[in-house]
Amino acid sequence: MKARDRVLDAIDVEAFLLAEDEETARRLALTLMEELGLPGADVVFLEWRGTGARVRIRSYAHRPGDDYAWLGGGERGG
Amino acid sequence: MGERRVLLAPLDPVHDVGLKMVKRALDEAGHATILLPPDLPVEEIVRRAVEHQVDTVLVGRTLGYNVPEELARLVDVMEATGLRSRVRLGVGGMAVRPELAAELGFDRGFGPGTTPAEAVAFVEGRDYQPPAPGEGGRKPDLTAGYSYRVHDPGIARTLETIAAGTVAWARERTTPGVERARIRRQLLAADPGSGAELRQEYLTHCDPRIQAFYREGVPAGRTRPLRREEILALESAAGARRLEPLRLRHRRSRPAVFVQYGTGCPLMDIAHNRVGEGWGADGLVHFDPSWSARCEGLMEGYHTHEEDGSLLTLENLSAVGAARQPWTLWQVRAHRGLNTPETVVLAAAAGADLTKVNMVYGSLGAGTDPGRLLVDGVECLALAAEFGLPLDVVTNEELCGVPAAKAFAGMLIVAAIAVHLGARPLLQPLFCLSPDVMVNGQMDDNFLDYNAAKVHALRAIMDAPIWPGAPIGFLTHTEDRVQSAVTTALHAALASSLDVDAITIASTDEAYSGGAIAAASRVDTLRATAEAFRFFGSAGMAPTGRAREWAGELVEAIGRILEAVLARGTLEVALYQGLLGGPGDGAYPGRAGRGTVSRR
Repeated sequence: MKARDRVLDAIDVEAFLLAEDEETARRLALTLMEELGLPGADVVFLEWRGTGARVRIRSYAHRPGDDYAWLGGGERGG
Repeated sequence: MGERRVLLAPLDPVHDVGLKMVKRALDEAGHATILLPPDLPVEEIVRRAVEHQVDTVLVGRTLGYNVPEELARLVDVMEATGLRSRVRLGVGGMAVRPELAAELGFDRGFGPGTTPAEAVAFVEGRDYQPPAPGEGGRKPDLTAGYSYRVHDPGIARTLETIAAGTVAWARERTTPGVERARIRRQLLAADPGSGAELRQEYLTHCDPRIQAFYREGVPAGRTRPLRREEILALESAAGARRLEPLRLRHRRSRPAVFVQYGTGCPLMDIAHNRVGEGWGADGLVHFDPSWSARCEGLMEGYHTHEEDGSLLTLENLSAVGAARQPWTLWQVRAHRGLNTPETVVLAAAAGADLTKVNMVYGSLGAGTDPGRLLVDGVECLALAAEFGLPLDVVTNEELCGVPAAKAFAGMLIVAAIAVHLGARPLLQPLFCLSPDVMVNGQMDDNFLDYNAAKVHALRAIMDAPIWPGAPIGFLTHTEDRVQSAVTTALHAALASSLDVDAITIASTDEAYSGGAIAAASRVDTLRATAEAFRFFGSAGMAPTGRAREWAGELVEAIGRILEAVLARGTLEVALYQGLLGGPGDGAYPGRAGRGTVSRR
């Protein structure tokens, strides 16, 4: 079982992104998750002020109703 | 500004709170408003707009489904009736993005977080000007209005006698630190390239590693000079565009909120400081490397440092200072080491607004010889007075275990010396779960009473500004982000409730020792502090009766300690003999700089 399989539900990434405006920050946030190998991400929180944005970006390892890999079945949902 | 007729229509099945808030603001601004109920068809909205002959239509939308379709249909119907060309049309609400509104033909779209004042500005056809940070965009004077009068005549006489005696004692002496400050002032005033002799004289008062820097170009500590492209980036940061910061305080005008920086690298410092300023910090506090405080002499030039603390050079300081917002207060600390007078010289030259001095803490809790730091500290305070730099008198010796009464007696002595020399001190009690408190249990029940008692006690003694620090909540933080933000916010709320003048707050990385503070962690405590200020507004926290009882006990104990210090003859002797904190309290007279004091 991989470590990711033991994530109960979500993986949140918290960061401060330097960006010239809010939309750029939003795009960078999602791109960052792709670069980290966490696809299908959603921006939970983003606040931009002047030089950059405080972001919390989420990727679900397991959503309710998925096949939960942490049950030990070997398949990972999400 | 003439009266405007405004129709407010919730283009939404149920939600109209935002429009009601805007209506109240418009009514207060003297405009005529008509608020329609939710869930009317667009044709009805347009008919009512025509009927009331309005010149502005504001619609609100909260629910997120069919937003483009609904808004587009409203615009279509308004155009079909000829109304669109006669009115200004705005839309706001949780479901609205400004870009979408513009695309659909609205004059303005207001997204989440819009204030009623912005909507009023739109209705009145003017640009919205957010409230200026600071005092109308200017830096506040944290010491304004304070007399520094000591209320009890007996304590007043004692403090003045100690202060006058200490100044007279120090003025008969000099140190390498005092001499370097004198030479640094001459170097700053000298024509470029003409200071070779002064530099040689400066080096006679320096440690070998500082001499090696100037003579052989070997940087001291784990530092390196900045590269050319880094220096260009630093210089281009000066005069950066103005931010529109988060509004930290809600109703009250105090306290000013300071954040600390000192990543080691001036470029990273500037980036972090802009984060702090963007999220509403009123002030920045410079942290220098701890080793630098035990090293005679300061380097020159742009340098970065691999560890915590940013090097004190005129170039580093000037770059960081020049990049701050016009309303941002900036403090450079000079409180504890072997370079204190020169630090005040550099701080003033770089344009700092405040400094920090406490010879008692610096010699009992930070490793500098008491006699040495007294001579240097008196020089610091005189320089602070000359340069017009207010200073806080921090009491971090509490973190060693020194009881608050002893730490406060030391703080008041330093404050009295400052006042004697014409400087303007701010008293900095720690809002902290100190070792003494842990042992004696004053915070077993709550964190309010003893912190409040400290403020009450200081106010009972001296009419001076109070700036709890540094940071507030010291030793209550953990590595958990939420806990750390909450404890900071609650201590900030207590400080606000006590109506103090300023506070210094930590990031949520305060208790993390594995690496540098992350910018996101700075945002989190500032947001939490703003939330606490919003929650309490002009209401306050209510300490129990123990706060006043402890305050009384503190005042009595401080009076006794001051009398004992006076009886000991000189402050130097009192420090060596532990009257303001001794080995039994976890405080030890420092050794750095011992034997370097000489008669003038």
